[in-house]
Amino acid sequence: MESTASLPTKSVARQRLGEWWPYLLVLAFLVLFPAIAALTIGDSTAAQPGAGFFEQLVQRAESGYAKFWQGMVIQMLILGIFAMSYDLLLGYTGILSFGHAMFFGTGGYAIAILIGRNFNWPFGLALIAVVVIALVQSLVFGVLSLRVKGVYLAMVTLAFAEMFFILAEAGDFRAYTGADDGLHGFPVPAYLSATDHRTRFYYLALIFFVAVFLMTKRLVDSPTGRVMIASRDNENRAMMIGFNTFWFKLIAFVAAGVFAALAGALFALYNVSVTPSVLSVGRTIDALAMTIIGGVGTLVGPVLGAAIIQLLGYWLERWFGANWTLVYGIIFMLIVIFLPYGIVGTLRARSFRLREGWRRWRKLGDRD
Amino acid sequence: MTALWKNNRGLLIITAIVVVLMAGLLQSLEPKVWMSIMLSGATLAALYFLVASGLSLIFGLMDVLNFAHGVLFVLGAYVGLSTFMNPRLLFNTLPFFFVLVAAITVAQHFGRIFWRRIGTERGRRVATAALLLLAAAVLFLALRGFPIRALNAFNITAVGGAVTTAEAQEPMATMLRRVTMVLLAGLPIGLLLAPKQTKDELPLRPVWQTLLIAGVAVVIGYALLLVRDPGETFMLAMSTDVRFVLAIILGTVAGALAGVGIETALIRPFYGNPVTQLVLTLGLSIAGIDLIEAIWGEEGNPPMSPPSLFAANCRSDSLLGWFSEHCQSIDVLGRAFPTYRLFIIVVGILVFIAVGVLLRRTRIGMIIRAGVQDSEMVQALGINVRRVFTFVFALGSALAAMGGVIAAPYLGVFPAMGGIFQLQAFIAVVIGGMGSYVGAAVGTIILGLARAFGDHFVAAGINVPFLDTVIKGSPAIARASTVLIMAIVLLVKPAGIFGKKE
Repeated sequence: MESTASLPTKSVARQRLGEWWPYLLVLAFLVLFPAIAALTIGDSTAAQPGAGFFEQLVQRAESGYAKFWQGMVIQMLILGIFAMSYDLLLGYTGILSFGHAMFFGTGGYAIAILIGRNFNWPFGLALIAVVVIALVQSLVFGVLSLRVKGVYLAMVTLAFAEMFFILAEAGDFRAYTGADDGLHGFPVPAYLSATDHRTRFYYLALIFFVAVFLMTKRLVDSPTGRVMIASRDNENRAMMIGFNTFWFKLIAFVAAGVFAALAGALFALYNVSVTPSVLSVGRTIDALAMTIIGGVGTLVGPVLGAAIIQLLGYWLERWFGANWTLVYGIIFMLIVIFLPYGIVGTLRARSFRLREGWRRWRKLGDRD
Repeated sequence: MTALWKNNRGLLIITAIVVVLMAGLLQSLEPKVWMSIMLSGATLAALYFLVASGLSLIFGLMDVLNFAHGVLFVLGAYVGLSTFMNPRLLFNTLPFFFVLVAAITVAQHFGRIFWRRIGTERGRRVATAALLLLAAAVLFLALRGFPIRALNAFNITAVGGAVTTAEAQEPMATMLRRVTMVLLAGLPIGLLLAPKQTKDELPLRPVWQTLLIAGVAVVIGYALLLVRDPGETFMLAMSTDVRFVLAIILGTVAGALAGVGIETALIRPFYGNPVTQLVLTLGLSIAGIDLIEAIWGEEGNPPMSPPSLFAANCRSDSLLGWFSEHCQSIDVLGRAFPTYRLFIIVVGILVFIAVGVLLRRTRIGMIIRAGVQDSEMVQALGINVRRVFTFVFALGSALAAMGGVIAAPYLGVFPAMGGIFQLQAFIAVVIGGMGSYVGAAVGTIILGLARAFGDHFVAAGINVPFLDTVIKGSPAIARASTVLIMAIVLLVKPAGIFGKKE
């Protein structure tokens, strides 16, 4: 009989499902989120009588709290893309960059300037241009900054980002960048306006997010990604095996730069404004904080971190007023001390370092 | 000759480039203009140096990139400003620090007995948590509602206008209660910091020393509180020079203490884990700037008036003339230059020499230099390198805080200044080579001069040779020039001018 040779294996589809079900669950929730929000916290009076069920659902989703929380999730998704791209550098390639805001901000400025009054490019073309600009920018600065390593690279990228920040603030290019006021009210296509069609923008952000997530996952799981991880763990050994780690680090740098630029472009489209603050060091520190809180070296971690920081910022600002960053800084430090691998990393390793965190501090009084 | 060339190649090349550049600029500028730009550059360089030298030493010795260095700079500036212009703040807050130090000293000394009585590890863990909670609770109760903002509203720039001392201060009875509660909160903190290992039988400080330190601290703490009204009048009546010296001393001490605190609580538990340390100092810089804003306000203060040595409204012909007249500006080749800025330059040079002597001529300096080379080896030779780490961290923090104090009459005091100076110090340190003391000095001089000449060309423009046009830059170009210099240096020499090869 032939059946003796066949093993009781699962079908490929089931095997895939077994690996991917948590992602699919989250995706399903995100896809359904506007509908859930519309039915639970949406303003029921916003729905016009006589419209179809679907239209009523959209109308309810774009009113009141449902609209607000969709906005929150949109920002989480955008910052999630940004943080994921940062983790591609920090977590997977071991590059500590302090200039990632350079790409985020340039993406935002590029789309704002290109669709704005100076160029009036069509939206699709402008988006392609953003990718091309980010590609060139990350290639140039990647080649320059990857000459150095470790802390030097952190400072070099910090300084490069500061240069872009200064240029954005400079009065010389006021006609294009709006100097320190930034650009506001540039003509985002009406069908994408986040104020009028928030649900539509939500799905746009979600599509971008899923696409970037899949691409990043594909990249880090590919042989190229394995070499990146190898060069993070032990660069000399990776070179000894025969890989020129420079190219792999450059690939990571360019990919991260392009994704960050996309996140920046979405951010600008969502807010319909860009200010020099999108290029500031604070942006990079945000990405770093999201990555560290969520879990370095994972893809889910930075996204989770982005969501947590977005929510934390919202609540802390409500509770503590203007000085909320004080509390935020303290919470951040406590997480670094007690959950050194971030939330996802800690869950994955199933080893809570709470005790170690205590022990480090309890040992303070002891003599060395 | 060849040995000299080999050992100092970086320095010689840079000196040659700088000399040629300066000579070229001297050709195209009037000497008096050139001189005043040079002096402005040197002023900036001196301030940058005070921040950058500590940063470089800390990184070189213990691989910690301290992102909280700017916070220490601002802290020094604000403590100095308060000493100089608002002593009532000191009289109402310093008692807390003194009694806290006293309580911690005593409890730490006798804490060993406490921990020895708790036999089990579990018991110790419970005791740690309980003490931590107790300390936090008592501190919270002690300081709740303390009118810090009112005490700080001393000049008309403060939001809500100035508050008189009588209104700002709390009644003496309330303050005595608060200070006593802080004293009590210090006891559990001291116990937490006491050695817990019973096998640790190292000799302690003699009992009489502990009691003496604690006693003096308690007496000073309560005395400061009791004399706060006459004390404020007395300090405001003092000559501004004496007050300024006091401001420098207190600001520097505050920086050093903060440095010890940061090193003990955040850096020491995480050696061998540089990213964690870096991220922690980053978190501290977020929280620290906000803490400073919460205490001193976000709006910032205009430059405080320089001490009377540099304040007389006249113009001296020479340094000798200044010694008798104390003019606010001095004649340099026919152009007025503020004497206070010359003072900043002198402080920068003195600190450079003093720390240089400390590094080259003393035993601890020798240990530091050895530690920069290989700290594990130093440890293996039986030297407690961790204690040296704490010392260097405190030294670097103190220098940054001192920079903040002396920058206050020149630039004013505002929370964002820390970030600005920290970034410039980072750039200077990268240019000079991380961990190199001379490198930090050279890097800051290059940056200071670049900024000064950049600002001049923004204002006056550059005469393009063979053409009759004048190119004028924008302020942004002067600001970006430092970054460009750094990029060029790194392209030529990735480890910086004085950096070691990897």
